[in-house]
Amino acid sequence: MNKTTRRFASVAVGEKLPPLTIPLTAGLIIGGAIVSRDFTPVHHDKKAAQAVGLPDVFMNILTSNGLMGRYVTDWAGPECTLKAIDVKLGAPNLPGFIMTISGEVKSRDEAAGTVDIAVSGDNNVWGTHMSGSVRVALPKEA
Amino acid sequence: MVAKIADKAAIVGIGATEFSKDSGRSELSLAAEAVKKALDDCGLKPSDVDGMVTFTIDQNEEVDVARAIGCEDLKFYSRIPYGGGAATGTLLQAAMAVATGVAEVVVCYRALNGRSGQRYSDGVSGNLITGSAIHYGWYMPFGLLTPASWVAMFTQRYMHQTGCTQDALFEVAHSTRQYALNNPAAFFYQRPFDRAEYDTAKKICAPLKLFDCCQESDGGCAVVVTTPQRAKDLRQPGVLINGVANCLAKDQEEMTSFYRPEIARIPEMDIAAKEAYAQCGLRPDDIDAAVIYDAFSPIVLWQLESWGFCNYGEAEAFVKAGNLRPGGRLPTNTHGGQLSEAYIHGVNGIMEAVRLVRGTSVNQPKKTVNHALVTSGVGVPTGGAILGRMA
Amino acid sequence: MTPEEITAFEAKVQAYVGGEVSAPRTGKDDVNKAMIRHWAEVMGDENPVYTDEAFAATSAKHGIIAPPTMLLTWAMEGYSMAQTPAPDAKLDVQRELHAIFDAHGFTGVLGTNTRTEFYRDLRPGDQITSHQTIDSISERKNTARGVGYFVETVNTFTDQTGAKVGRQVFRVLKFQPNVATAEAKAATSDDAMPAAPARIQAPRGHDNAWWWEAIDAGKLLIQRCKQCGTLRHPPRPMCGVCNSTEWDSIESSLEGEVFSFTELSYPKFPGYPYPLVCGLIQLSEGTRLVANIVGCEADKVYIGMKVKGKVERVDDKTVLPNFYPA
Ligand SMILES: [Zn+2]
Repeated sequence: MNKTTRRFASVAVGEKLPPLTIPLTAGLIIGGAIVSRDFTPVHHDKKAAQAVGLPDVFMNILTSNGLMGRYVTDWAGPECTLKAIDVKLGAPNLPGFIMTISGEVKSRDEAAGTVDIAVSGDNNVWGTHMSGSVRVALPKEA
Repeated sequence: MVAKIADKAAIVGIGATEFSKDSGRSELSLAAEAVKKALDDCGLKPSDVDGMVTFTIDQNEEVDVARAIGCEDLKFYSRIPYGGGAATGTLLQAAMAVATGVAEVVVCYRALNGRSGQRYSDGVSGNLITGSAIHYGWYMPFGLLTPASWVAMFTQRYMHQTGCTQDALFEVAHSTRQYALNNPAAFFYQRPFDRAEYDTAKKICAPLKLFDCCQESDGGCAVVVTTPQRAKDLRQPGVLINGVANCLAKDQEEMTSFYRPEIARIPEMDIAAKEAYAQCGLRPDDIDAAVIYDAFSPIVLWQLESWGFCNYGEAEAFVKAGNLRPGGRLPTNTHGGQLSEAYIHGVNGIMEAVRLVRGTSVNQPKKTVNHALVTSGVGVPTGGAILGRMA
Repeated sequence: MTPEEITAFEAKVQAYVGGEVSAPRTGKDDVNKAMIRHWAEVMGDENPVYTDEAFAATSAKHGIIAPPTMLLTWAMEGYSMAQTPAPDAKLDVQRELHAIFDAHGFTGVLGTNTRTEFYRDLRPGDQITSHQTIDSISERKNTARGVGYFVETVNTFTDQTGAKVGRQVFRVLKFQPNVATAEAKAATSDDAMPAAPARIQAPRGHDNAWWWEAIDAGKLLIQRCKQCGTLRHPPRPMCGVCNSTEWDSIESSLEGEVFSFTELSYPKFPGYPYPLVCGLIQLSEGTRLVANIVGCEADKVYIGMKVKGKVERVDDKTVLPNFYPA
């Protein structure tokens, strides 16, 4: 990952973040549920997922939340501070799918030194898995 | 030859259901309620109805609507194709039927669960019937799948040809939302909206952004058309159909007329306008207010040109001068339009044009409205109607 | 359910709104480097302030911090949450509420939204306590998954000093699984894994199949009237100029310019690569066609831009003409 942190002044509204493509393995989906301490069976037990109408285990919201946060902090750099994250889930993420996350700077708050990024995560089978916005504070001076 | 149809029919009743994002009931129930309310509005009974007109895409069969509201015998039933292009086309059918004596009381209706049911923004897919499938096959593999995407292609070209800017689109989007603030039936009732929200909203298909697009809605609307003689005895003042015309122009496709020498204009609407004016001898200067079909904001600009309120390429200047606003030259979409009231395929627009002539719009202009224009969808075979006061 | 039953049920669940879900719950583990590392590994998060002691120490963070999105994790109940409680067990309020939903057939549960605010970075040693209340229950909704209710809970998080460190709102759908589809899918589940779709194919009929077959073979053809020589696209069975039904075709040079275009941003359809630009291409032969403009940023496309086409495979099922900046 990029070890330098973006400065507030260098970011412009309309700037697009580089897309990030993540192959969704059962390991990521089950592992994401476990490391977030979410043991709801639909996230690790295929039979339980099938009982609610999906063919396989599906990603829990905390993993989606974590990936969206990671996407923005990857771009912003290690000294940024995540202030808020708002995630809306759409189509489920299943093993074997590929998710591409994209983002764009929507606004800047000069006084607070924060920028708001609109983020979308789209999988290649069912479309938009998550959409939302992330607020991140960036250092003002070099 | 000009059709002899001017003032041979009048709109006497209007009715609508609530507009919502999830009606929770059948389209037939919406249609029946709208038709019944339109009849109640003018004091006619279902047994007075002897004709019905709707859109080919409407899912409510005439037989079902007739039985639902308890009609007697119908002598006339007819449908108009091409989505929202049918809105005022229904009036043409009704006026012809009434003028020729084929029917005396004709109800025009349109009811849809356009948000909770099949959504137009979902676009076309592989599951289409033959003729249409072959047609959309020239666009589907490339991802040009939605009404917004087809309209965007014309809009980009129009802006290039005329120098029109996003400011003009915003003016259309904003003026209707200002009107909707006062309309309790509108989705944008009392909802503030400004340029910052417009600019930062989701991009749909460049140059169209979210607020350039209409409200996908559930709801039904109906109007009752009868003879001017009979109109005199009814509960509401009749509103004459002064002129009404439809046109399918040369090299037209359904939403994708991309192959004409120039695509930054809408010849079908130019021709319908010329025909409607010729029928009644009125001119653009005689039109006091308008309801201009606004599935997307740019299509309002083109229609202002088609109907002669300004010259080709001058719509931006016309709207930026405030002409669509209260007190402007042509108060337009005073109910909030389909951008902000609801998208009932233009039939809610016919209702508002009737209100403008009656003098009962929630945003009734201060001046007397002797004549109001109402138009149908753009990109398809289309048309419009000029409505006026009865003597 | 009858309307009366629905009213009674809704009154019963609405009574939970505003209530505390349980006594404040303090995390079983304090914020610690091991759980942070496990999280970072799975998420593929290489941010050095989470795992690289030396980097973190000299950074503006002055030491290791936890990924902010782990906030709720520090106060999760863990494995026991998903076990069936003993019949006589005292349920917390949220479980009690969910049990009422379950008993009325609303057995499905799906997280739909979460909104979090972070008040400070968390560091190893912090002890997180969650205070959870049920904020609202929506009216009955028809959703794609089935009929249900959105239940919104609010978690406020405090640290060992009692100071607030963050707040997270959760929206969960409790729904009646759409049984027909659930069973149908589950029954064939092992073969039912959906595959990545191709683009929507153009249906092929009498008047257009030859054109698409030529595309499959790598050629862009233009229909030509045999009698008067007029070119036409899209193909149709009769010449509009002379009414001849005799036609042949010429192969396009694939040279052209952009007559109009749009970038398709929303909605995104599965099977299509975004960002995606559609152009209306004026070919040098005189006809136009719609095709994708590729090989340049969407905001670099302009009307009048010279382009050169290439017929190429775009997915497993589809061959299309693509146009590149010339
Ligand atoms: Zn010919």
